[in-house]
Amino acid sequence: MKLLTIDDSRTIRRVISGIGAMVGFEVLEAENGDAGIRVLEQHGDEVALILLDWNMPGMNGLEVLKHVKADPRWTHIPVMMVTTEGEKDYIIKAIQAGAIHYQTKPFTQEEMAARIMEALGMGGL
Amino acid sequence: MSQSSSPELIEKLLAGLRQAVTEMMNSMAMTEVVFAGRESANSFTISAEVVGLVRLSGHMQGMVGVTCDQEMLRVVVSKIVGLPPEELSQEDLLDGAAELANMVCGGMKTKAQIGGVDLSPPIAIVGKEFVSQWKTNHATHIFTFQMEEGGLRIYSSL
Repeated sequence: MKLLTIDDSRTIRRVISGIGAMVGFEVLEAENGDAGIRVLEQHGDEVALILLDWNMPGMNGLEVLKHVKADPRWTHIPVMMVTTEGEKDYIIKAIQAGAIHYQTKPFTQEEMAARIMEALGMGGL
Repeated sequence: MSQSSSPELIEKLLAGLRQAVTEMMNSMAMTEVVFAGRESANSFTISAEVVGLVRLSGHMQGMVGVTCDQEMLRVVVSKIVGLPPEELSQEDLLDGAAELANMVCGGMKTKAQIGGVDLSPPIAIVGKEFVSQWKTNHATHIFTFQMEEGGLRIYSSL
């Protein structure tokens, strides 16, 4: 199984790829919502968790989340928001739209690794 | 007095910014950072190699700029992404500068717990050296941080 990170920052995609590898997962990368949807079209059945940024050019993270949750092929895939937006309103909107976790940036590697394992039902580190 | 000019709100955001820089460097770059001073000015020039800029809109309006030299940016981004500094491309440095500004401003908002402030996508400039002029109606607050790798300055016009 693989993780999918959708983030316009290659820095953050690399960080998440490194953490994913640390906990034993290959990480697919997409630089915006449209690219993320394309990755899901091709590899949706392999994706165990989506890590989704909020502020991106084009579709924002909330729109991507709603799109994913509305598609019966992907609605079962857990989504974790990974964003600099830490306001309560954002968190509530994301949870209401189906996100199971909300991780603000910055984060430590250990924190993110534990969140990923938790989201996958594998417990903390 | 509008909300955007409230000194209390500005101080709340600045306190959040100071915490956000420390947290970002500790958590993402695993680097200790020391607050090295604060000053204010209405008109000044910035001479640097790297700047990441984010515009604030909504309930508070303004601009935040994160500046440092390229070598320091290279080391910090290298620590964040876990790659040797020499393997980082110019695109990596641009994205790193943008993401530093993005995380500083996002962290500032979260720490200050002020709602209704929107952040623009970050703008990054990385070059050998540039000089820019920065003029504001109200005082720009300049925070200096020191790390083993070098200095970091944050310009906040709120």
